[in-house]
Amino acid sequence: MMPARRSTTILANLVTWGLVLLISFPLIWMVVTSVRPQTELFQIPPTVIPRAITFEHYIKLLEETPFLRYFMNSMILATSTTIVVIVVGTLGAYSLVRFSYRGRETLAALVLFTYLLPSVVLIIPLYLMMVKLGLANTLTSLVIAYTTFALPYALWLLRSFMAGVPEDLESAALVDGASRMGAFVDVILPQALPGIISTALFTFILAWNEYLYALVMVNSDQARPLTTGVMNMLITSFNIEWSLLMAASVMMSIPLIIIFAFLQSYLTRGFGAGGVKG
Amino acid sequence: MVTVTFDKVRKAFGATVAIPGLDLAIASGEFVSLLGPSGCGKTTTLRMLAGLEQPTAGEIRIGERTVNNLAPSERDIAMVFQSYALYPHMSVRENIAYPLKKRGVPKADRPAMVQAAADLLQLGPLLDRKPRQLSGGQQQRVALGRALVREPKVFLLDEPLSNLDAKLRAHMRAELIELHRRLGKTMVYVTHDQLEAMTMSTRIAVMQGGVLQQFAMPGEIYHRPANTFVAGFIGTPSMTLADGEIAMDQGRPVLKLGTLSLELPSDHLSDRPDGTRRVTVAVRPEDIIIGTGSFRANVRLVEPTGHESIVLVNAGDVGFTVRVAGDTVLKAGETIPLDLRRERIHVFDRETGRRLNADRAAATADSVRSRA
Repeated sequence: MMPARRSTTILANLVTWGLVLLISFPLIWMVVTSVRPQTELFQIPPTVIPRAITFEHYIKLLEETPFLRYFMNSMILATSTTIVVIVVGTLGAYSLVRFSYRGRETLAALVLFTYLLPSVVLIIPLYLMMVKLGLANTLTSLVIAYTTFALPYALWLLRSFMAGVPEDLESAALVDGASRMGAFVDVILPQALPGIISTALFTFILAWNEYLYALVMVNSDQARPLTTGVMNMLITSFNIEWSLLMAASVMMSIPLIIIFAFLQSYLTRGFGAGGVKG
Repeated sequence: MVTVTFDKVRKAFGATVAIPGLDLAIASGEFVSLLGPSGCGKTTTLRMLAGLEQPTAGEIRIGERTVNNLAPSERDIAMVFQSYALYPHMSVRENIAYPLKKRGVPKADRPAMVQAAADLLQLGPLLDRKPRQLSGGQQQRVALGRALVREPKVFLLDEPLSNLDAKLRAHMRAELIELHRRLGKTMVYVTHDQLEAMTMSTRIAVMQGGVLQQFAMPGEIYHRPANTFVAGFIGTPSMTLADGEIAMDQGRPVLKLGTLSLELPSDHLSDRPDGTRRVTVAVRPEDIIIGTGSFRANVRLVEPTGHESIVLVNAGDVGFTVRVAGDTVLKAGETIPLDLRRERIHVFDRETGRRLNADRAAATADSVRSRA
């Protein structure tokens, strides 16, 4: 390798690693703080590597707080929203791509329009509706609320994936003896699977991290998800439980990290889909 | 063995009428090609037969059964698509077995049937591969295998050779002819390639603008085109088409073509024109003779292809396309004698495009194949 080219490579590596460290520093600090003893927390000068490692914050969080209840709520909430959005979104996108009926394009545009509305605009009407339906303060109300803003996006993303599945494949399945639903399940779904998985991931992450709707629509511990639950539990006007907060943050991130680790290739395919999918 | 009938079938997409009214009766065991340029309605016709498009009006019958309201799966047909439409996530074996699975063939019987289809098409070593690991020709054979694995009543083929290279296409043409001979099933084949239609079909349906122009055996279509569209569409290079006039002179029709004047056989036309009739005349490149004759022609261009040359000449203000033997020596700019085989001149009404020949003189031995 030429010396000039080598120095360029080294420089590029240094810059890249510098950026990676910069971006990942808050995450590293979060993990480090969560295992640092309480006494070391506000030590001056601060150290990156703790002198002692303790899991007392995690144990306290799991045993003495309603963290697990919030965690379960978030799990139920994100999973239910994802299932509803994927089932409705997949069938809806299929309909928009394959069937021709009056108002099809208008419908698609209207759906997108709801996505363009700021969330804040929808909160009050949705809250009032939930109260009238007797669903206030329930996980169901949040599932419905999250679906309203996750579905339009999912529908458009899935639509671009469905449009990429050649119509001949479905026609071939129909001629080969499949029913319309059979062709959908046997041929369309496997072909659109990367799109479905990436849409499911987006929806799950969206529901998992959502804060505003959860704050407004739910105010009982029975239905609180992690985002508002942890805030409510550990942050007060007088005190912030930094160690517990960091331990909670680490545990909140774990499901997403696991999902990303296993399905990241699908997710990146999903990112490209909206733009260039043929 | 089963017939296919289109009875006044009409298809419109919104305000656009693709097929205004199609009547077509395909006999049992025939290999019929739907031939025409892009957008002529041939694929729409095939898709209506498959049940993938719903006719706006009229009736489609397979055998005695009206199939208008039957789903594709209930029509007992198989189809090969231009894109092959192999299921990318399934292996070759699963692709071929899919129609069997969907039609409830017992699981135990499927492997033998798949193997039989694979053997017929020499797909044995490829059974565990995915479609993306196959060449175009292999994919085409898998699509055929999927179509014939369960012996349907009618085979539909939508330009199945158009994605293959010339050599493979010639090979697959022969294989398809052989397959039809062996199976004896009714096959409907869509193509825009007249060579495929001429070499493979028992009859050809030539279509243009959604209208059936002629439905006849390949020889008949070539030697007795029903109208100016068929005359111009069939044959490579195309016939020379020129406007002229015919008048009777002492009981014989005389054709005036630009400054050329030719006496035609007395029984050349189906009726005798009163006065002068405005006609369009068509002449095949091989029905023009160079080197003898009373007309003088100027050579514009010579296109040698090896075994023959295509020569463009001007005679009497008319540009003719002539086919000559490859060893004929001609130069652009040269003036040569030229004549037309008068009994082979096709005459059409200039307004309606309808054929006016009596078709006694033009009759030739049809290359009708009977593969049954």
